Amino acid sequence: MDSFLAATTLVFTWDVMLIVISASVFGLFMGAIPGLTATMATALLVPVTFFMEPLPAIAAIVSATAMAIVAGDLPGALLRMPGTPASAVYTDEAYLMGKQGKIGVALGLNIVCSMLGGIIGVVCLAMLAPLIADFAIKFTSDEYFWLALLGLSCAILVSGGDRLKGVISMLAGLAISMVGMDSVSGQARFTMGSYDLLAGISILPVLIGLFAISELIRRMPESHNLQQEVQTRVKKPFAGVGGLLWKYKFGVARGGVLGTLIGALPGAGADIASWISYAIARKFSRSPEKFGTGHPEGLISASSANNASLSGAYIPALVFGIPGDAITAIIIGVLMTKGITPGPDVFVSEAPLVNAILLVFIIANLLLLPLGFLAIKGARHILSIPSGVLFPLILIFCMVGAFAANNTMFDVWIMLAFGLLGYVMAENDFPVGPLILAVILGPIIESNFMRSIIKANGDLTAFVDRPIAITLAVAAALIWGMIVANGIASSRTKSRLSFN
Amino acid sequence: MRSNDKITGLVTVTFGVLVITNSRGLANLPQQDYGAGTFPIVIGGLLIAFGGLLTLRGLSSSAPLMVWVNDVPIKRFYLTLLAIIAAIVAYILLVPVVGFPIVSTVLLSLLLYGFYRQNWMLAAGTAVASTAVIWVVFGRLLQVPLELGILEKVVY
Repeated sequence: MDSFLAATTLVFTWDVMLIVISASVFGLFMGAIPGLTATMATALLVPVTFFMEPLPAIAAIVSATAMAIVAGDLPGALLRMPGTPASAVYTDEAYLMGKQGKIGVALGLNIVCSMLGGIIGVVCLAMLAPLIADFAIKFTSDEYFWLALLGLSCAILVSGGDRLKGVISMLAGLAISMVGMDSVSGQARFTMGSYDLLAGISILPVLIGLFAISELIRRMPESHNLQQEVQTRVKKPFAGVGGLLWKYKFGVARGGVLGTLIGALPGAGADIASWISYAIARKFSRSPEKFGTGHPEGLISASSANNASLSGAYIPALVFGIPGDAITAIIIGVLMTKGITPGPDVFVSEAPLVNAILLVFIIANLLLLPLGFLAIKGARHILSIPSGVLFPLILIFCMVGAFAANNTMFDVWIMLAFGLLGYVMAENDFPVGPLILAVILGPIIESNFMRSIIKANGDLTAFVDRPIAITLAVAAALIWGMIVANGIASSRTKSRLSFN
Repeated sequence: MRSNDKITGLVTVTFGVLVITNSRGLANLPQQDYGAGTFPIVIGGLLIAFGGLLTLRGLSSSAPLMVWVNDVPIKRFYLTLLAIIAAIVAYILLVPVVGFPIVSTVLLSLLLYGFYRQNWMLAAGTAVASTAVIWVVFGRLLQVPLELGILEKVVY
C-alpha cells in the first residue's frame, strides 16, 4: 500500500501529467498519418526522453504509443488506409461500416475497445509480472543466456514471412551488436580503427534509421499524391457503442487477454496480436460469413488486442530485462541510462516506480476516450496535412534526434546507413524485428554465455545442469527445430512455384 | 528494387566471411578455449550457412536478378533517394561549419519546395518557423549543443 501511495505521488504531478497529454497528442498525430507507425513515434520521441527523469520518460513513450495505435484507426475507417500496421486487419470492416452510415459507431468502438483492451493488459501485467519476477529471482547467467536465446528464436518464429530471411536478419543484428569493445576481454572488434565505434553502435540512430529514414525513402517519392480529402463527416461517435460492447463482451475480454499474451512474446507486436485476435473472433463467431462486410465483431476483438499487446510487451522487459518489441527495447535503454536495470529485483528495489508505470498505463488508456473523441472530430484536418510538408520536417527531426543521443555527427552517419539498410531489407522481405532485437539481445546473450563459461571453467554441460536451464534449452531447441522445418518446407514450396 | 535471392544470399555469405576473417586475430581468455572471437566466428559461420541456403534457393528460382516492383516511376525514386542522402550528408558536413539555423532553414526550404511544389515564400516561411521550433526545443530546453556556426559572431 505504501508503494502504491508513493507511486501516486510520483505520477500525479504537473510535469508528468503535462508530458502524458503532450505525448498523447504527438502519438495521435503520428498514428493518424498513414505510413507513420507507433514505433516511429517512439524512435522520434526518444531523443527528448533522454533528458527526462525515468517516470516522465516512460510515461511519454507509453502515452504516445497507445494513442498512435488508436489514431491509426482513423485513416483506416475514413480513407480505407490503415494508419499503422496494427489497424490493417479491420480497416475494411470499419470502412464498410462507414459506407453503411455507421462511421461514428466504428470509430467509437475502435476507441472504447482500445481503452478496454489496454486496461485488461495493465491488469494482466500487474498480476503476472510480480509472480514471474518471484520465480525469475532464482535465475543465474545460464538461465538468462537461454532466455535471451529463446526470445530471439521466438522473434523469428512469430515475425511472419520468410523464416530463412528472418534468421539472416537476426544473425546480421547479432554481428552488428558485436561492434565495439568486448565487455569481458576489452578487445576492440570490427571498429576498423574508428574511435567512434569503440563504444559500439548506439541503438537510437539504428532505430531512427530502420524505422523512420527507411520509411521516408519508401514514402517520399509518392508524397505528391498522398494528400487526402476526407469526405465523410463523423456524427455522434459513441452512439450505439454500449449495446454492441455488451453483445460482444467476451470478444473484448478474449482480445484483451490474447493481446497481452501475444505482446509478451519477443518480436510479436500489436499487428500480430490484432491479426490473430481477428482470426480467432471469426473462428468462434456465430456469424462468420458477416466478417469482411462491415461487421463489428472482428473489429471489437482486434481493437482490444492491439492495445493490450503494448502492456504485454512490458512483462519480459520489466521482469527479465528482455524486450518484447522495439518499443520496450527503447524503454529498457532509457531505464538503463537512468541507472535502473530492469529485472526481477526491480519489483522490490524500485516498487514505487513499477507501480507508477502501471498507473501511467491506466491514465494513458483512460485518456484515449477524450483525446480519441477530439481526434475523430479533428480527423479531417489531421489527414489533410500534405505529406510533402510533413516528410521534410520529419527528416530534419530525425537528423537532430540522431545527433542528440550522444551529441556526435557520427550517429547521423549511422542513421543514414541503417536507413538504407532498412529500405533494402523491406524491399526484399527481410523482417526488421529480429535484427533490432538481436542488436539489443546480442550483448546480453554473449555476456551471460561468457560469465557462465568462465564460472564452469569451460565446461559446456554446465549450461544444462539446472532444471530451469534445461527446460529453457529444450524450448529453444524445439523452436529452432520448428524454424528449420518451416524454412525447408517454404524453400520447397518456393522452388516448386518457380519451376511451374 | 527487389533482388533475386541469389544476390542477397551471396551478400550474406560475403558478410559472414568478412565477420570471420576480422575475428580470427582476437585472443581467447587466459586458460580458456573461448574469448572475444567465439561469438563472431559462430555468427559468421551461420551467416555463411544460411546465406548459402538462400543462394541455393535463388539459383532454383526463375526470378530476374533485379526488378523494380513499385508504382512510382524509378526515376522519381532515385531522385528522391538522392535528395534524402544529399540532405543528410549536407547536414553532417555543413552544420559544424555554417551552423544549424542556416543549414536547417536552407535544407528545409529546398525540400519543402521540392516535395510540396508550392511557392518559395511559403517554403521559406515554414522552414524558418520549423527551424526556430527545433532550435528552442532541442537547443534551449533540452540543452542539445546545436552549432550556431557563423551566426555565433552575430549572436554573441
